[in-house]
Amino acid sequence: KIAIMSSKHKPLPVSFGGITKDNVEQLRMINTSCFPVQYNDAFYREAVDRRDDELCKFAYWNGFVVGAICARIEPMPTHGETAPANANANANANANGSDDKTKKEGEEGSAASSTSNGKPEGRKRLYVMTLAVLAAYRGRGVGKALVKSVLDHVEENIDTPKFRDVDEVLLHVQTSNDGAMRFYVDGFGFDKGPMVENYYRRIDPPHCYVLSKKLR
Amino acid sequence: MKTKQRSHVCWHVYGLLHRADREYNEAIKAYKQALRIDSENLQILRDLSLLQVQMRDLSGFLVTRHTILTLKSNQRMNWLTYAVAKHLNGDLAGAVSVIDIYLGTMPEDSDEHKRGYESGELALYKNRALAEIPDNLQTALDHLEECKTVVMDQTAWLMTKGTYQLQLGRYDDASKTFLSLLERGLTEDYRVHSGYMCAVLGADNETCQAAMKLKGTATLATMKPLAADQRQALLKTYRGEFAERFPKSPAIRRIPLTLLEGDELKAAIDDHCRRGLTRGVPSLGSDLAALFLIERDGKYVTAADAVDIKAHSTLAAVVDLAEGYITSLLSESKFPGDDNKCESPSTILWAWYLRAYMHELCGEYPAALDIVDKCIEHTPTAVDMYELKGRILMASGDAEAAADCLDSGRDLDKQDRYINNQTTKYMLQAGRQSVAGERIALFVKHEGNPEQMLSDMQCSWYELELADCLRRQKEWGKSLKKYSSVVKHFEDWHEDQFDFHSYCIRKVTLRAYIDVLQFEDDLWGLENYARAAEGISRLYLHLYDNPDLTKEDEEPDYASMTAAQRKKAKAIARKKKKAAEKKAEEEKAAAVEAQKAAQKKGIKAPVMDEDPNGETLLKKDPLEEAKKFSAILSRSAPRRISTWLLQYDVAMRRKKPLLAMQALFKGRAIDAQSGELFVRIVDFAENAAPEADSHEAAKEVLNSELPRLLNGKDVCSFVQDAAASAKSDPLTDLSLRVAIASAMVKTKAGSSSDAASLIVDQGLDGRGVSVKTVKAALDCLTEFGDEASAAKTKWIEAVKARFPLIKDFD
Repeated sequence: KIAIMSSKHKPLPVSFGGITKDNVEQLRMINTSCFPVQYNDAFYREAVDRRDDELCKFAYWNGFVVGAICARIEPMPTHGETAPANANANANANANGSDDKTKKEGEEGSAASSTSNGKPEGRKRLYVMTLAVLAAYRGRGVGKALVKSVLDHVEENIDTPKFRDVDEVLLHVQTSNDGAMRFYVDGFGFDKGPMVENYYRRIDPPHCYVLSKKLR
Repeated sequence: MKTKQRSHVCWHVYGLLHRADREYNEAIKAYKQALRIDSENLQILRDLSLLQVQMRDLSGFLVTRHTILTLKSNQRMNWLTYAVAKHLNGDLAGAVSVIDIYLGTMPEDSDEHKRGYESGELALYKNRALAEIPDNLQTALDHLEECKTVVMDQTAWLMTKGTYQLQLGRYDDASKTFLSLLERGLTEDYRVHSGYMCAVLGADNETCQAAMKLKGTATLATMKPLAADQRQALLKTYRGEFAERFPKSPAIRRIPLTLLEGDELKAAIDDHCRRGLTRGVPSLGSDLAALFLIERDGKYVTAADAVDIKAHSTLAAVVDLAEGYITSLLSESKFPGDDNKCESPSTILWAWYLRAYMHELCGEYPAALDIVDKCIEHTPTAVDMYELKGRILMASGDAEAAADCLDSGRDLDKQDRYINNQTTKYMLQAGRQSVAGERIALFVKHEGNPEQMLSDMQCSWYELELADCLRRQKEWGKSLKKYSSVVKHFEDWHEDQFDFHSYCIRKVTLRAYIDVLQFEDDLWGLENYARAAEGISRLYLHLYDNPDLTKEDEEPDYASMTAAQRKKAKAIARKKKKAAEKKAEEEKAAAVEAQKAAQKKGIKAPVMDEDPNGETLLKKDPLEEAKKFSAILSRSAPRRISTWLLQYDVAMRRKKPLLAMQALFKGRAIDAQSGELFVRIVDFAENAAPEADSHEAAKEVLNSELPRLLNGKDVCSFVQDAAASAKSDPLTDLSLRVAIASAMVKTKAGSSSDAASLIVDQGLDGRGVSVKTVKAALDCLTEFGDEASAAKTKWIEAVKARFPLIKDFD
C-alpha cells in the first residue's frame, strides 16, 4: 500500500532512524494517518522484533517523524513471477488485520510448494510492506529518499549472506493510485506486473497491481 | 559511662553516638564534657567545631577554631577555618588578617603565592571578605588587581572587577570589563549584559546591585523602564557593534527586543519569529511571553494574568504577525513578503503552535484547542503538540482529557522522560494515581518498589503531586506520609552540608563554601519545602477542625441495645476485626516473601514499610504539628503570602490574636488585593476577641491596631468600601470579588443579591479567572441561596461559554 505524491518542491533533507519498541507508536500514527486500512498489532510487533534498521526506518525532519518505510526479505513464491495466493495471504495479514496465524499458514504454504518448482530452491525477494509520508510533507522527496536508502543498501550489500539470495524487490499498489505507480515506475524503474483482483478487503477499488524490479 | 565518668574517651564516644542519631545538641554537650577532662584533644575539638558550625553556634565555633589553631598552627586547614569562622561571625577585617598572617608565614616561592586553583580561590575569597567590609570597595579592587596573576578563575575575577567598578561609579572601566567578558565567550550570560547596560547608562548603585542579581534572560532593560535616549544608546551598540562582533550570539540578537517599541519592535519580533519558526523552536512562545512587561511602581513585572496579557501591545503585535504567517504559509508556503525562500512544511506547524500558545496565554481555550488540533492532524508524531493540547485541556477544566492527551503523546516516545513526568503529573491531577504510578515507574530501576526508589532519589515534585492527589481523595495518612517524605529530603540536604565543613576547606573552595552555608540557611524557604510544609499544616488543620475524620471505628453504643442486638453487633465487630487483622497479616507476609525473594536474587532487600497508611502521623497532635511547620515557614518563607495566611489560621485556632493580626499585616504588605487575605481580615474583625485572661498590654495593642487593619472603619463599612472599589474596577481579581461578596453577606453589609451581582455583573473580564476561581465563585453563589439563583444561572452560562469543557459545574 502506498501513499505518495509526485514532487515539485525542493527536497527535504531528511535523516533516518530505526524503529524500536519505544517509538513504534509513531509508525502506527503515520500509517493510520496515511492508509485507509488498519494494520494489526502483529505488524508493529514484527517491525520492532526484527529491528532491521536498514529495511524498516523512519524519516525525520526537524526532529519529527514525517515518513516511514517497512520492507522485509521473504522467500520467493513458487508459481510464476508473483504467486497471487501467497501475496494475497500476506496482504490480508497486513492490510486487513487478520492475526499471525493466517500469515504463517501463507508462508508455510509457499515453503512447502517451493520444492516442486522449477526455480532454484531458497531464492528470496525484498517485499516493501508499507511506505508512508505524512500528507503535509509529501511532494518533497521524503518517500524517494526512503525507497532509495533501502534500495541502495540492498545494492551495496547484494553479496552479503543477508541479501545473497534476494533476486527482486516487489510491492503492491492499489489500482487507483496513479501517483504511486508513476513514483515507482518512472522514479525507480519498477515494472508494472499483473493485476491482482480483490487483494484488499474493505477498500475500493479492492484490486492492486504488482510492481517489481530485478535486483540482479 | 556509668563506670568511667572521668574518661574523655567515653564522653567522646558518647557524643559520637548522639551525633550518629543526629542529636547534635546532646552531642555538643558530650564533647564539651570530654574537653573538660582533656582540653587539648584535637580530635574532640575538631568534632566539636564541626557540630558547632552545623548548628550555627558561630561564636562557639570561633572559640573552638581559635583553640585548634593555637594548638596546631602549622596546618593550612586550621588557618583557613579560623578565617572562615571570623567571617561567619561578621569580623571581616579579622578574616582578612588571618589569611594575611597565614600567607605571611609561607615562603615567597611556595605554591600559595603562585598561580593555581587553590591559591586563586583563597585570593578571591579574601577579596570577597574585603568587599563585604563597608566602604572598602576601592581596597577590594586594588587587591583584585594584585592577585590577578594568582587567580585561575578569570571569569569570576572579571565579573567581580566589573561589579566593583560599577559600584564605584567607574562606568567606563566597568563597560570595558564587561566587554572583555563578552569577548571571553560569555555572550549568553545575561548578567554580563546587565552589567554592561548599567555601565553604559551610569546606573545608580542600588540599580546596579539589583541588576547584577537578575536571573534567566532578565536584564536591566526588563527590570525597569528606561528612558528613550537610554534605550537608543543601548540599541546602537547592540544592533551595531555587538551584532557585528558576536554574530552567533542569540542573547545579543534577543536583547534589542527588550529595547524597542512600536513598529520597530514588531519588525524585530518578526525577524525573531521567522527564525524560530523555521527551525522549530518550541520555546519561542514563552520566550516572547517574557516580553509582555507591565510597569508597576517604577519596576517591570511580567504580565501573568490573561487580562493583562490580552491588553498588552506586544501581544497584539505577536498575534498579528502569527496570523499573517499562517495565512501566507497556507497559501504559498512562504512568509509574507518573502519571495525567495519556500518554507518547509514544519514551519506552518510551529506558526500554529505559536498562535495556539498565545490563545492559551489569553485564556481563549476553545480557540487554542481548534488550532492545536490542526497541529496534531498536520504532524501526529510531534510530541510537543500533545503537551500543549494537554495543558490547554487542563486549563479549560478537563483534567481527564488532559491526562489522556499527554498519555497519547507519551506513547509516541517512551524514552522521553519529560513527557513521561508530565503525564504522571497530569494523571495525579486527574486523580488516577495508579496509572501515574505505572508511568513514573517506567523511568525508575525495574527492581524493588518504585515508590521507595523515587523517595530514595528525592523526587520531590512527584511526592508533592501525589500527596496533593491523596489529600483530594481524603487519604489523610498517606498524604501526610508523602508530604513528610519531602520534608525528610530537605532535612537530608541540611544534613548533607556536614561533609562540606571539612571538605570545602581542604579543597579551598571557600567562596562556594560560604554560598553553601547561605543556601542551607535559606533551605526552608525553598518552594518545594514550603509546599510540603504548607500541605502538612493545612491537612492537620483540617483534621483539627474535623476530629471525626481520624477517629477509629468507635464501639457501638451497646448499652442502648437489647441483648440480642448486642450479641449480633459484637459478633459483627469481632468479624470485622478478625478480617482486618487477617488482611494485615497477609500483607505483611507478602512483604516478607518479597524481601526474601529479593535477597535470593542478590538484590538489596527493599526496606519494609511498617506504616504504609501513615497511622502514626495521624496520631500526632494536629494543632501542634501545624504550628511547628507554620513557624518554620514564617521564619524562612516570609515573602510568600500563603505563609501568612497559614500562620493566621494556626494562630486563630491557638487563640493567639496578636500573632494572627501580625500575620494579616505581613500578608497585606505582600498583596493587599488578595481575596484570601480579605476573608481573614473580616474574620479577624468579627471574631478576635482577646482572651479574658490575656495581658492588658495585649488587649491594648489589639484595640489600637485593629482599626488600622480596617482602614479606621467598622467592619461593615470596611466591606462596603471594598465592594464599592471592586465594583468601580471591572478588572478586580475574581477571588477578591468572591471574598468581598461572601463578607458582605456574613457581616450584613449588603444583601445576598447585591453580593451576587458583585461577582456576576463583571462577568469573566476581570483578573484571576481560572477553573478553580470560577468554581469557588459558584460555590459562593450557591451558598447565597434562592436570592442569588438568577445570578447563579447567569454565572453558569458565562463560565460555560469560556470554559466549555469544565466538569461538575451546575
